[in-house]
Amino acid sequence: MKTFIKGIVLILAVSFTSCEDVIDLDVPTGQTRLVIEGSLDWEKGTLGNNQTIKLSTSTPYFETANIPVVTGASVKVRNVDTNEEFVFADQNDGTYTISNFVPIIGNTYNLEVIYNNETYTATETLIAVPEFNSITQSIDGGFDDELLEVNVYFDDPADEDNYYLFSFYEPGDLFANVDNFSDEFLNGNEIYNFFEKEDDEDNDQAAFQPGDTVEISCYGISEQFYNFSSIIIEQYYGGGDPFSSTAAEARGNCINETNSDNYAYGYFRVTEVVKASYTFE
Amino acid sequence: MKHFLLGFCLLFSTVIFAQEKYSIRGTIKDFSNGETLLGATIFLKGTSIGAVTNEYGFFSLTAPKGNYTVIISFIGYESITQEIQLDTDQTLNFQLKESATSLNEVVIVAEESEQVSIKKPQMSVSKLNAGTIKQMPAVLGEVDVIKSIQMLPGVTNNGEGSAGFNVRGGAVDQNLVLLDEAIIYNTSHFFGFFSVFNADAIKDIKLYKGDIPAKFGGRVSSVLDVRQKDGNNKNFNINGGIGLISSRLAVEGPIVKDKGSFLIAGRTSYAHLIMKGIDELKDDKISFYDLNLKTNYEINKNNRVYLSGYFGRDVFNISKILKNSYGNTTANLRWNHIYNDRLFSNLSLIYSKYDYQIILDFIELDWIADIKNYNIKYDFKYYLSDKVKLDFGASGISYKLNPGEVRPTSESSPINYLKLDQKRAFEGGLYVSAEHQITDKLTAQYGLRYSTFSRLGGQNMTNYINNQPVVYNSQLAIYERGEVESETSFGKSESIKNYDNFEPRLGLSYQLNEASSIKASYTKSTQYLHLLSNTSSVTPLDVWTPSGKYIKPQRSTQYAIGYYKNFNDKAYALEVETYFKTIDNRIDYIDGSDLIGNNTIETEILNGEARAYGLEVLLRKNEGKFTGWLAYTLSKSEQRTLGGQAGGPGINNGNWYNTPYDRTHDISLTGIYKLNDKWSLSSNLVFQTGRPVTYPNGQYNYEGFSIATYSNRNEDRLPAYHRLDISATYTPNNKPDKRWKGEWVFGIYNLYNRRNAASITFTQNDQTGLNEATRLSIFGLIPSVTYNFKF
Repeated sequence: MKTFIKGIVLILAVSFTSCEDVIDLDVPTGQTRLVIEGSLDWEKGTLGNNQTIKLSTSTPYFETANIPVVTGASVKVRNVDTNEEFVFADQNDGTYTISNFVPIIGNTYNLEVIYNNETYTATETLIAVPEFNSITQSIDGGFDDELLEVNVYFDDPADEDNYYLFSFYEPGDLFANVDNFSDEFLNGNEIYNFFEKEDDEDNDQAAFQPGDTVEISCYGISEQFYNFSSIIIEQYYGGGDPFSSTAAEARGNCINETNSDNYAYGYFRVTEVVKASYTFE
Repeated sequence: MKHFLLGFCLLFSTVIFAQEKYSIRGTIKDFSNGETLLGATIFLKGTSIGAVTNEYGFFSLTAPKGNYTVIISFIGYESITQEIQLDTDQTLNFQLKESATSLNEVVIVAEESEQVSIKKPQMSVSKLNAGTIKQMPAVLGEVDVIKSIQMLPGVTNNGEGSAGFNVRGGAVDQNLVLLDEAIIYNTSHFFGFFSVFNADAIKDIKLYKGDIPAKFGGRVSSVLDVRQKDGNNKNFNINGGIGLISSRLAVEGPIVKDKGSFLIAGRTSYAHLIMKGIDELKDDKISFYDLNLKTNYEINKNNRVYLSGYFGRDVFNISKILKNSYGNTTANLRWNHIYNDRLFSNLSLIYSKYDYQIILDFIELDWIADIKNYNIKYDFKYYLSDKVKLDFGASGISYKLNPGEVRPTSESSPINYLKLDQKRAFEGGLYVSAEHQITDKLTAQYGLRYSTFSRLGGQNMTNYINNQPVVYNSQLAIYERGEVESETSFGKSESIKNYDNFEPRLGLSYQLNEASSIKASYTKSTQYLHLLSNTSSVTPLDVWTPSGKYIKPQRSTQYAIGYYKNFNDKAYALEVETYFKTIDNRIDYIDGSDLIGNNTIETEILNGEARAYGLEVLLRKNEGKFTGWLAYTLSKSEQRTLGGQAGGPGINNGNWYNTPYDRTHDISLTGIYKLNDKWSLSSNLVFQTGRPVTYPNGQYNYEGFSIATYSNRNEDRLPAYHRLDISATYTPNNKPDKRWKGEWVFGIYNLYNRRNAASITFTQNDQTGLNEATRLSIFGLIPSVTYNFKF
């Protein structure tokens, strides 16, 4: 959020004189690594029994072929507080699933992946998320006071540090819009987040119109995941621009216990998520 | 220290017992406007005795009793020759007339006078006068001091649209930028496209890249000493210009003829006026302005007072989204006092402030931050003998830093009020330095600066477990914020941490013959303030932070050696210098560091070190219809940040990595050709190795997004930067008796429209899902026209 504040000031300043074009460029190729997408998200109002963990490997930056999936690995999650173990089943398409997972707020979970005789582990705590108070639409809020935006309101719990990951997705788009923030300046208040789309001919994007739907997800995340996601979000939406931090690899929380140099990419998170869908009037 | 003092005494003892001597002192001024001339020379013909005027046009020299012919000269002016009988101490004031041919002719002086520069021990200094700067092609015709010094060897910046400049592989915050002695914390207007110095108000600039005189302290890379004009004390004058981006107007004139004068100069951009006319943009505003003021009064021949000030501001408003403004404010009250024929003094009281404000309408947040200082300085120059001149003095700077205050802008705002701890500090300095002509051929400049720094209380300091504000997480191989153990409250009268440092400075010059010399220097300096910036370009929103319990002062040591030669009767000059510099305690930032609104910056940084070395060549042509210079720099600048107390290998696995301002090759060619009385042409050609960056070395799929992975820090480079600019100045029939004088300046920046990459960003196309490298280039071919006038 704060990077965003700074970014917007500076990018707007530059945009008055500059021009952008896509170029061909040779970039180096690093080591291929295991990628662990361990996102155990418990949607409010569900039991959270069905969970999926995805395994794949990294590829060269401009590689366009399909993502190489990883099969034949062993994937287990253990609740450290209850000592209950959850074994994920290999679906042979890079996904590992379970249908009897038990999420408990505040409990700590341990991931263990064994792949190529190397053991990867990670630990996370299930973080709660508040309910949405309301979802509204407006025109004069947001960045542009002529375009529709959706506003989501919720109460930030006082007396604790909270971190949120937000996703806004319009069905039909290739990608959701993701951002994260902490309650650093907002602690204990009713917080709102908004999302507005701009008309962009280059990208074939159009602003929201009445009748459009937007799917909203808000995840309660740990400080460590906040730090990790801040780096990848900043890099994803503008890695390398003059006002972004020096690019560096975002290290997730998956440790290779067998050979620490051969660490994995990705992250093991356990969150509570609140989801809603809003249709513009 | 003891040895040093002993050395001083021994050196002086050789000169104290001499024959009967008398001194001449006085000032050298411009005949037409009464401006004091800095760096004018006075020589006694047939001897090696001479002097150069100081910042206030003052000189003093001592010679044995006798009859002499004195020659007073300054580049671009007609020399004066006068017979004198030296049998008593005397005051002689001179006024030099601009030489007829030099009207509009450009003078490039790397040192005040070539005669002296060969002999003077001072090295690694570049001087440009306002006339030269105005003749160089500029973006959109905006004459720019900061851009013009980048045409000199050893000076670069991070490309168009980045603030500040880098000297000999140093960071932007390692430059001490002084405008009439006041510290300028941010040299840029409009996020770095233009600089804060209005060329109409400036007399000259001097850039010390090394061999920094002992009177300067507080920064480890360079000193940019910018002096404002005093104002014409003979006639009223109006100067101005109308350009595409801004207009300028400067008024100067006598308050009391020959005694006092004033100068008021203003400059303002007017894009916002045009925007008002466009319906979509009428509520937006982008503008900058600045105001320079100077006035001086000569009370009597021994006392003169000056008051100077600067006020500048940038405003950047996007309707209903944000309002942003920032700027510098400075004021300086000075008193020149001449105690006697040999002792000149200047007392200055200086105030500087830099502040910025951002109001974000869409989240109803108001953010302000500032840094301000009061500075008292007393400098003396003692002309001990014809062989030894002494500089000594003291200074004290009191800083108050307000790193951030956040306010809600309405009752309904979700923002909580937050004020980061105010930081207070005091920096003291004492120095003594001698310029000593040891033999006919060997001259030395040696001195010592003693600096102190106290981080003062009035705030709480956080204590961390194991005294580790940053901790290495060896399992995840990342640096994390340390855990808070307790807080210590420091009262306003307490100091949190004290530092002091000795900073020896030494320069030697050995004259090989009339036209050539070699020089060597050794400089140690200390920097107590740091600009926090984890981006590749410094921005106006970056905040300064003082040294303290966790952030140590930066210390630099620089060695330089150079060869200087004039040839073809001084029409050409060659300077070759090589340097090696190390900097201790250069901070760098842990991955994912968060500097905005952070009360505990120490949790985001690691103390590291930096080193830079290089070779600089400057070939100048000083005379004739064609003048100009070629500058080439071959250099390396790198840093290393070990884990230290935080544990772990450090940033980039503890290996050396390129600084963002490392440029292997840097070539600048500046040429000015005077075609005839009406037309003069000029051109810049620049070539630079691309800026070090970190490119992705792979991707992985996470939550449906392609996430880039990166290799070692700053291991890759942007494509090379190069461009050619041209400009032409047309002066219509300006009859000498006509008061109104006008000229047109036509320019083209980036003539062959090179799309230099200011940055390359790596993103995933949101339609195709493919990864792309997008080049951002800031200035394509940009034509400009400016009209300047004078009456």
